[in-house]
Amino acid sequence: MQPTVPPPPAPPTGPILRAADLTMTYPGGTTALDDFTVDVPPGSVGLVGANGAGKTTLFRLMLGLMEPSAGALEVTGRPVASDPVGIRSHLGYMPEHDCLPLDQTAADIVATFGELAGLPARAARQRASDMLDLVGLDEARFRPVGGFSTGMRQRTKLAQALVADPQLVLLDEPTAGLDPLGREDMLELVGRLAGFGISAILATHLLDDVQRVCQHVVMIDRGRLVLAGPIDKLMQTTGLMRVEVGGRPAAGRALADALAARDIVAALVDEHTVEVNTSLHGDAAFDAVRDVTADLGLRLYALSTRHRSLDDVFMQEARR
Amino acid sequence: MTALPPVLSGAVYDRGYRPYDGPRGGRREATFALWRLSVRRALGLRRSWRQKVFPWSLLAIATVPAVVNVGVGYAARESPADFPDFSFISYREYVGVSTALLLFVALTAPDVVCPDRAQRVLPLLFSRPLTGVDYVAAKVGAIAAIVFGFGFLPQVVLFVGQTFVTRDGALDYFTDHAEALWQVPAALVVLAVYYAAIGVALASLTDRRIVGGVAILGLALVTSGIASIFVASADDGTALAVINVLALPLAVRDLIFLGHVSDDSGLSGVSGGGVLAVTAYLVVLLSAVALLLHRYREVDL
Repeated sequence: MQPTVPPPPAPPTGPILRAADLTMTYPGGTTALDDFTVDVPPGSVGLVGANGAGKTTLFRLMLGLMEPSAGALEVTGRPVASDPVGIRSHLGYMPEHDCLPLDQTAADIVATFGELAGLPARAARQRASDMLDLVGLDEARFRPVGGFSTGMRQRTKLAQALVADPQLVLLDEPTAGLDPLGREDMLELVGRLAGFGISAILATHLLDDVQRVCQHVVMIDRGRLVLAGPIDKLMQTTGLMRVEVGGRPAAGRALADALAARDIVAALVDEHTVEVNTSLHGDAAFDAVRDVTADLGLRLYALSTRHRSLDDVFMQEARR
Repeated sequence: MTALPPVLSGAVYDRGYRPYDGPRGGRREATFALWRLSVRRALGLRRSWRQKVFPWSLLAIATVPAVVNVGVGYAARESPADFPDFSFISYREYVGVSTALLLFVALTAPDVVCPDRAQRVLPLLFSRPLTGVDYVAAKVGAIAAIVFGFGFLPQVVLFVGQTFVTRDGALDYFTDHAEALWQVPAALVVLAVYYAAIGVALASLTDRRIVGGVAILGLALVTSGIASIFVASADDGTALAVINVLALPLAVRDLIFLGHVSDDSGLSGVSGGGVLAVTAYLVVLLSAVALLLHRYREVDL
């Protein structure tokens, strides 16, 4: 008889994080978050910012570990201010730094944090076993964590974050210190969380990680929201079309001038290459390039759409 | 020709992720879980045999006076002329023997709190439904529970043993010593909570277990040394005996058993010595708790 596996829970439909005019000023006067307003939908979300941008402060506020100076915060649909301790029953947290008792086995650690999240002892041990299986540590579960590699410790930290079946996990730099193979494994695991009905907020400064596993991104700089939205939309709206033409001298300049006459913004890269901002003109830019190239009798050597990376988006928005 | 066995059919299942829909507790359950885990750690359970040797040896040693008392009482009950009313330790004095459990506190209190800070486990603990108050309650409660248990079990051995070996009959012994049934637990609670709070508070000041242990024993030795100088130079007791923080719960114990400070106390002969002892006891205890709450009022992620 085949084992029956219960269907995954329906993912929450409302925002997993809502912040309205959230401000956090520390007693020393440092403002870590400044009028931070954002709605974050369920799924995998990248929280991107440089060191000191306010990511950890946001995590502290989400976990109810401190009160904001101003503003309101809802996590998984619950106002944090109304039950700052109880909210943690619905969250998992994976710190960036080493945080595991080194003399204990992975099974004991994960079960312990399951119990501390309110699970009965027997259920916590069973789920610890399941989670260590899930993260690929089933054979190492009875070994002390002190003898683990960095990658194994990171996976143990992820297992303890998941053991109580949270609605949302807060992952602080989950790929920090990992070798390329370990990084691949960790990103693959993080990418699977949404399929389990668990939303994840991935705090990192590695935009490539976010681009690979997240559907949404929240960019933060010096405590202020820079940009938030679906990653695919951000990439689309920042697209560039690169056109290489020939057939006569200074063909690129002729193309750029002709496009400008049609109110299409185009930047000359070199004598034969032009970049057209498709985010401003949409499909009309493609039509204009086709028509102008034909009208001027130019040879079209290459046409490619170049999407900006999240790094480009972040740098551009942060400089504003 | 040998027939091949039938082909076995098998399947590999990817169990994937299974959500949890069972009961889920809150702060109280989390605090109790932390208390239970701390007790387990202090007793060396689920740890190597080396971690078990000290606590269980200490329990065995603490039980020796009770076993000897009961054993000699049993052996001597046939010759009452040689051993009239044999009893070399009273219930009140046995509580005093439990002060040796300070050694246990010095070893285990740092062990249950220092690694949490040194290995940065605290952020992970406080990401669960726990507050600083819960953490302090669980850790102090764990040490206090073990000290109480290690002090109480030998007393149970003594009481039950004496009840059965007494020449006066079990019922008479029981009724004559019924007061011990509340005095002993009350005195041990006073002692256990006090030692646990001081031990955990001092251990919370450092990341290093050895430093925490030395600080606990050092406080006991230094304060008792200073107090003994004052007591020795006074003719009839001195209020400065309260400097001996180790002895304060014993003065409170005397109040529970005798209703006054005993003659062998440094506070004996001091006017209002009992009130002074209780006040000093509470000041030290509340200071330790206040220090603990301050140390765990918030945690960095």
